[in-house]
Amino acid sequence: MTRTELKVGGLTGQGVMLCGALLGRAATVHAGLEACLIQSLGAEARGSACSAQLILADGPIGNPYVQAPDVLVVLSQSAFDLFIPQLKPGGLVLYESELVNPKDRLPQGARAVGVPATRFAEEAGRRLVLNIVMAGFVAGMTRLLPLAAMEKALLASVPRGTEDLNVRALNKGYQFALSNL
Amino acid sequence: MGMDSFPEAIQLRDFWGLIITPLQAEDSAALQDFYRRMPEEDRQFMRDDVISGDWPAYFQRKLGDQGIVSLVAKADNEVVGEATLYRTLHGWTRHVGELRVSVDPGLRKKGLGTALCSSLVKVATDLGIEKIIVHVVDNQGPARRTFEKLGFKKEAVLPHHVMDISGTKRDLLVLANDVDQIWAAMEVMNQDYAPHLT
Repeated sequence: MTRTELKVGGLTGQGVMLCGALLGRAATVHAGLEACLIQSLGAEARGSACSAQLILADGPIGNPYVQAPDVLVVLSQSAFDLFIPQLKPGGLVLYESELVNPKDRLPQGARAVGVPATRFAEEAGRRLVLNIVMAGFVAGMTRLLPLAAMEKALLASVPRGTEDLNVRALNKGYQFALSNL
Repeated sequence: MGMDSFPEAIQLRDFWGLIITPLQAEDSAALQDFYRRMPEEDRQFMRDDVISGDWPAYFQRKLGDQGIVSLVAKADNEVVGEATLYRTLHGWTRHVGELRVSVDPGLRKKGLGTALCSSLVKVATDLGIEKIIVHVVDNQGPARRTFEKLGFKKEAVLPHHVMDISGTKRDLLVLANDVDQIWAAMEVMNQDYAPHLT
């Protein structure tokens, strides 16, 4: 059985939970996988650190906790600094390249790929969808979830009237990932 | 709704074979033919002198610099309705668009105006427009009800602001649709307090 542990970290208001929930929904509802999502929130309403622990597996998930993420997704420098020590040896770091600088803190053997998700989101029409760009980027880089499954999960999740822009943001992140493989 | 989702086929009550499509520069002559078929009284309420000889070139220029976005309804390649969004690309009202719609008199009360406005509101949202306004004269009851069904609300009344073809002055209503509200729900989801996925 394959089990992939992901941790998505950032600041509240960046849509960290929605990013994790979308990946989980795409996996369980549209890609035939099992998923487990645990949220961790800071005390403040906005701007505090938060994270989503997501496990994707092709069989039952016994331990729901992420011990050492295979994939660390970070939307803020503070999340990178906080979670990078937890990364599994040889793991993958996916980061917002205009908000996070891995500097020299990347563990040996780890791979890091950045995406200007905020800029892509602004180009798509709204900065608000940076988490959706990131979700597409994660799906594309990890190849864990097909784009069609992500699109279905997205369309079932986002508010009516926002679908087109969200799908564009998802595709932008996914296509950028494919160009980085 | 992106421009790549057009042409969009629509069906009205008792009328088939209509498409809604973005207006291209080369369509301006067909659009002017449509305006020429409109009653003179209706043309009084239009923003520009749409039957003047200079109008097609002016309209093409505005299309080119993206100051306007226009959708037309066509039946057998003939324009039978149009909805246009006028934008300011700079300054303090760059988030606001003004919507205007015209429908062939023979196709009114069949839902074409609603379909055109609905599509254009989605396009406007996609372009980052956060507030759309429309101007309605106080005796244009059906037009006002159409806009209200689409979420527009009265924001202002300009007394005796327009003069109709008979010289009667009428009140002009400004209705507004705060389309940014659509995105407020997305913002709530991004607050990260356990998003409720439906």
